[in-house]
Amino acid sequence: MDSEIYLDRDTFFHRLDPRTKIAILLITFVIVLYYQNPLWIMPISALVLLHGVLADSLINLKRIRYIMFVLAVSGLILWNLFASGETKLFWIFTVESLAYSLGRVLIMLTLITAGMIFMSTTRNEEFVIGMIRLGLPYRVGFAISTALRLVPTIVSSVFIIAQAQRSRGLDLDSGNILERIRKYLPLLVPVFVSTIRNTNVFGMALEAKGFGAREERTFYLDVKMQRADYWMLGLMFVIFIVTTYLKIRGFGNIPGLIRF
Amino acid sequence: MEQPIITIKDLTYRYRGQKRNAIESISLEVNPGEFIAIMGASEAGKSTLAACINGLVPHFFRGKFSGEVQVCGKNTRTSRVAEMAEVTGMVFQDFEAQLFSTNVELEVAFGLENFNVPREEIARRVDEALRFVGLENMKRRPPATLSGGQKQKLAIASVLAMYPKVLVMDEPTTDLDPISKAGVFEIANHLRQRDDLTLLVVEHETEEVLEAQKILLLDEGKLIRYAPAHEVLCEVDLLEQHGVMPLGVTKYFHRMGINSHAPLTIAEGLQKFKDNQWRLSEATYESLKQQDQAREQRYGAPLIRCENLQFAYPNGTQALRGINLEIRRGEIVAIVGQNGSGKTTLVKHFNGLLMPTGGQIWVDGRPTREQGVFELGRKVGYVFQNPDHQIFSNTVYDEVAFTLRLRKVDEKTIRQSVTEALEAVGLAGYENADPFSLTKSGRQRVAVASVLAAKPEILILDEPTTGLDYNEQRSMMNLVRRLNEQGSTIIFVTHHMWVVAEYAHRVYVMKDGQIFLQGTAREVFSHDQELVDAYLRPPLHVMFSNQLGKTLLTVDEMIACTETQPQE
Repeated sequence: MDSEIYLDRDTFFHRLDPRTKIAILLITFVIVLYYQNPLWIMPISALVLLHGVLADSLINLKRIRYIMFVLAVSGLILWNLFASGETKLFWIFTVESLAYSLGRVLIMLTLITAGMIFMSTTRNEEFVIGMIRLGLPYRVGFAISTALRLVPTIVSSVFIIAQAQRSRGLDLDSGNILERIRKYLPLLVPVFVSTIRNTNVFGMALEAKGFGAREERTFYLDVKMQRADYWMLGLMFVIFIVTTYLKIRGFGNIPGLIRF
Repeated sequence: MEQPIITIKDLTYRYRGQKRNAIESISLEVNPGEFIAIMGASEAGKSTLAACINGLVPHFFRGKFSGEVQVCGKNTRTSRVAEMAEVTGMVFQDFEAQLFSTNVELEVAFGLENFNVPREEIARRVDEALRFVGLENMKRRPPATLSGGQKQKLAIASVLAMYPKVLVMDEPTTDLDPISKAGVFEIANHLRQRDDLTLLVVEHETEEVLEAQKILLLDEGKLIRYAPAHEVLCEVDLLEQHGVMPLGVTKYFHRMGINSHAPLTIAEGLQKFKDNQWRLSEATYESLKQQDQAREQRYGAPLIRCENLQFAYPNGTQALRGINLEIRRGEIVAIVGQNGSGKTTLVKHFNGLLMPTGGQIWVDGRPTREQGVFELGRKVGYVFQNPDHQIFSNTVYDEVAFTLRLRKVDEKTIRQSVTEALEAVGLAGYENADPFSLTKSGRQRVAVASVLAAKPEILILDEPTTGLDYNEQRSMMNLVRRLNEQGSTIIFVTHHMWVVAEYAHRVYVMKDGQIFLQGTAREVFSHDQELVDAYLRPPLHVMFSNQLGKTLLTVDEMIACTETQPQE
C-alpha cells in the first residue's frame, strides 16, 4: 500500500526551510480560528488553497476526500446544535446558526488542507531538523519521526491481519457496534505481536548504525534560511498582524448569533 | 602471522527465560578479509552468534553471557552497540524494518550522521556506496518504492558507507526471489575481493555459499564444524544430519559412490560425469515422462478457472494483467515469480479476498463474486505467509478450533476435527501449549492445522517454506503431499525452486502480472533461459541435468536415470 504522504516535488514551497514551513502552518492554524463569519474565513481558505496549488500538493486531498466530505456534511448539521439566532428557518436551523456551521466547517477543512500541504511539502527528516533547530533535543525529534513512520506500518499490518481472519470465516462487517468491536479484538493480538517484532528489528538496526554513538551529530540535510524564507516569513508576519488587528477591532463575527 | 580480526573465547549465552543455551562454549578466530558462511538448522544459534559480533548480544537482548568476544581489539562487553557500529556493520533479514528514511540518499547518510562525519564526506561516501551496489540512479526514491532485492542492496550500501571492518549479514536473502538473491551475493563476492573487509553471512541455502572461504556449521548452539567451504560442502551426510540442504550435484555424486573430491559446481559435475563415462538412460527418462502424463490424466474436474483475470489496486497499480488458468481437482500447483510479480494478488482471488476488476474467475463452477469470501472459505483454505498474522489464541486447541466455532459446529465434532488436524501436522499432544511459545515452524504448523480443521477442498499456502530450515521445509512439504494424496487440491506460492521441482505437479511462472510460462514442473524447468527473464533459476542439479539434455527434478530421479555401465 502507498503510505507515503510526502510528494517529492521541486516547488518554491518545497525548497523553504522547515522552520519557515512550521511557521506558516502555525500562523495559519491561529488566524483561521479568529473569525466566525464564513465570508471572513474564506480569504484565508483561499490563501491556503493557493499555497496548495503553488506547492503542487492538493492531489493528496484526494486520498481523504471521503473523510472530508463526511466531516463537511455532518458538521453542517451538527454545529447548528451549538448555536442559534433570530431568523428561524426550521427545526434547529436558523440563518445565523447555518452561517456559523458553514464557518466551522470551512475552518475544519482549511486546517486539514493546511496540515496536508505541510506533510506533502516536508520530509519527515526535515520536520525533525526544523524542530531540533528550534530547540528540541535530537532524540525527542527522532522519537516523533519514528512514531509518525510507524503509523502506516501498523495500518498495513491491520489490513493483512483482517484479511487473514476473514479468510478463516470471521465476519467483520456485520452486527451492531458492540458485536463488531468484540470481533475486532482477536485482531489486536497479532497486530501487537507483529508490531513488537517489527520494532525490535528496527531498534537493532538503529543501534547497529551507531545511533547515539557521539554527542555531536551531522545533519546531512542542509537547512539554511534563504532570502525566500525571510520574504515568506515577512509575508506571514504581515498577514498575522493584519488579521490580528481586525480581530481585535471586532470584525468577522456573525450578527445576532447566540452560542450555547 | 596475521592478527585475527574476530576472536571468540569460550562464548556461552542464554536468553532470559530459555532453558537451553543459545550458544554453548564456542571459541574461534576469524582472519581479516575472510568470507565466512554461518550455517545450520533453525534455532542453531546462527543469528545469536551474528548478534554477538556487533554487541547486540549482550547489550540489546537480555540473558546470561559468559566468555569473550573481541572485534578489532574492542571487547563487545565493554563497548556499546553504537560504538561497535564503527567497526561492525550489520544487515538484517527483514528488509522493511531496517530502513527508516524517506529517501535512498538519506538512508545511506544516516549511519554517517551518527558518527559526526562532515557533510561533504558523507556526500562522497553516499555516492560511492550506492555506486557499489548499483543504486546510483535511485538517490531520490523513497525506499518503500524499491523492490525487495533493491531494499536489501540499499541496506548493504547504508552499512558499507560507514567503512566497517567486519560486515555481518543475517539471512540477507531469505525473503528474495532467486535472481535478487544472486544479485545480493554478487555484491558479497565483490566485497570478498576487497581484503579490507571481513564478511560473515548467515545463510540457509548452500547454493549461495559456494564462494565462501569457510563454513561455520552450528547445531543447538554448538560448533560442529569450522573448515574451508569446499571440504564442508562435500560432507553430504554431515550437512543433512545438521539440517542443511547439501548441494544437489554434490549429493548426486555422493550417492553414486564418489566420496572423495565430489564436484560442487555444474562445470565440475559435467567433467566428472564425462570422465566416468556415465550416461542418462533414455528408457527411464521416457517412463518418468509417462508418469507425469498418467498423473495428469487422473486429475478431476476443473476447480478454479480464470479468464483474462485483471486486478488493479485502488491507487491504480495494475497487479494482474489478464490471467488465464485452469486448476483441476487433485493437482499440486506452484505459483512462482519475482517479488511483486502478482503471485499473492492472484491467489487472494481464489478465496475471494480480492475480487477482479476485469475478466472472470470461477471457483467450483461459480464466479467468486456470487459466492463471497465466507462461502468460499468453506471450500478454499488459505494459509498466510506469516503465521503471526493469524494466531491469537491462548492455546493451540482454541486456535485450531476457531473457524469451526465460528461456523457453530458442535463441540464433539470440533474435538474430532482438531485432533485430526493436529495429527496431520505432527502437533498431537500440543493442544494446551501456548502457540506463541512455539518455533516459527511450529507456528506455521498451527496455522496450517487451523485451516485444515475446516476440511477445505482446496488449500492455498503462501510461501509455506520461507523461514524454515531444510528439515522443516521437507516435513512441511511432505505434509502437503500427504494431504494431496488424501484428495486435497494444493496451490502454493514460493521462492524455493527445489521445493517446486520436488513437489509441484504443475507450475505457473508469473512476470509483471501475467503468466509467463506454464506446464509440468519438468517442462517449466527445461527452460533455463526464459526462467532467468522471470528472475528465477532452477536448482543446481536440475540445471546440471538440463546440460546433459534431460530435465530431472530430483536427485533420486537423476540416480534412477544414470547408467554407469558402458552400453554394448
